[in-house]
Amino acid sequence: MLKVSIYRYNPEIDSEPHMKDYQVDTGGKDLMVLDVLSLIKEQDPTLSYRRSCREGVCGSDGMNINGKNGLACVTAISDVVKGNKPLVVRPLPGLPVIRDLVVDLTLFYQQYEKIKPYLINDTPAPAIERLQSPEERDKLDGLYECILCACCSTACPSFWWNPDKFVGPSGLLQAYRFLIDSRDTATSERLADLNDPFSLFRCRGIMNCVDVCPKGLNPTKAIGHIRKMLLQQGV
Amino acid sequence: MKGRHETVIDKRPVNLDLASFRWPITAMASMPHRISGFVLFLAIPVVLWVLQESLASQQSYDALQILLSGTFAKLILWVIMAGLIYHFVAGIKHLIIDVGIGESLEGARRLAFLTLGISAVLILAAGVWIW
Repeated sequence: MLKVSIYRYNPEIDSEPHMKDYQVDTGGKDLMVLDVLSLIKEQDPTLSYRRSCREGVCGSDGMNINGKNGLACVTAISDVVKGNKPLVVRPLPGLPVIRDLVVDLTLFYQQYEKIKPYLINDTPAPAIERLQSPEERDKLDGLYECILCACCSTACPSFWWNPDKFVGPSGLLQAYRFLIDSRDTATSERLADLNDPFSLFRCRGIMNCVDVCPKGLNPTKAIGHIRKMLLQQGV
Repeated sequence: MKGRHETVIDKRPVNLDLASFRWPITAMASMPHRISGFVLFLAIPVVLWVLQESLASQQSYDALQILLSGTFAKLILWVIMAGLIYHFVAGIKHLIIDVGIGESLEGARRLAFLTLGISAVLILAAGVWIW
């Protein structure tokens, strides 16, 4: 039997969130945390969480598992539970909780929208497509793979304190993805949008984002590269 | 639009139980960096006063030396020294990362360990020097 402790909050009955304990029969198997949640949902159908693809592609089931953000569907019990300790599941930190493990991601998505996550190119469109050399395409590796699960931004203290002003690791990784795309011509405008005390410079490089990213991406490195681009533009 | 979110945040709980989070070593190295910066800020008037007293006259210099030989005064000096050492070493770490070394999680972990280790040794040495 696995001991599981889950953050519960139902705005219609609870004035405060609380932790609720469950016992789950895993059948001796090393299940994924999402499987454990669905077993609990059989015992207690009131439990709410988001999930969709259940294989780490859609980014719906980001949550705080034993103190670390991750996708429940690709986090095995053995990755986070040592010995007889309980499995502790809380919602992603820093964002308003709608119910149980479901948080309101509006502020997160607004930051994504802010960085203009699409190619901007004011030159006439070619007949077929805008070509890139293999080298130019290689620069997008480690950037385009982001699935917007919000694990990184909600692990970042700078984002907790200023979710409306600091773009956050996820948004900044995406910003860099368009800054170094050879097909994008809005580089200086994009840099100008980030050049204020909050949007980018609230990053203190503590690397919580890199530590939690389920796709193994490195927002801190991308932020460092944007800072260098700002410096080069400034001198 | 902003107003709408403020009301939402006001009503809904937020999971910010900091003690329940697991912090990576890179974050553990950053926290004392900020705390030491704050200590240094608080230390500015103390250190300026000490400097002024030490330069004012022979009498004030002698009085200061007696004052600073007390255990409590030494402890304060050590805390200020510790803040200065940690802030300095962690600042160098930032410069190293800025030139592109230790940008990976593994590299940054190593730098964080080094920062904590080197600072601990230097802070102990400063304690020995003060006492």
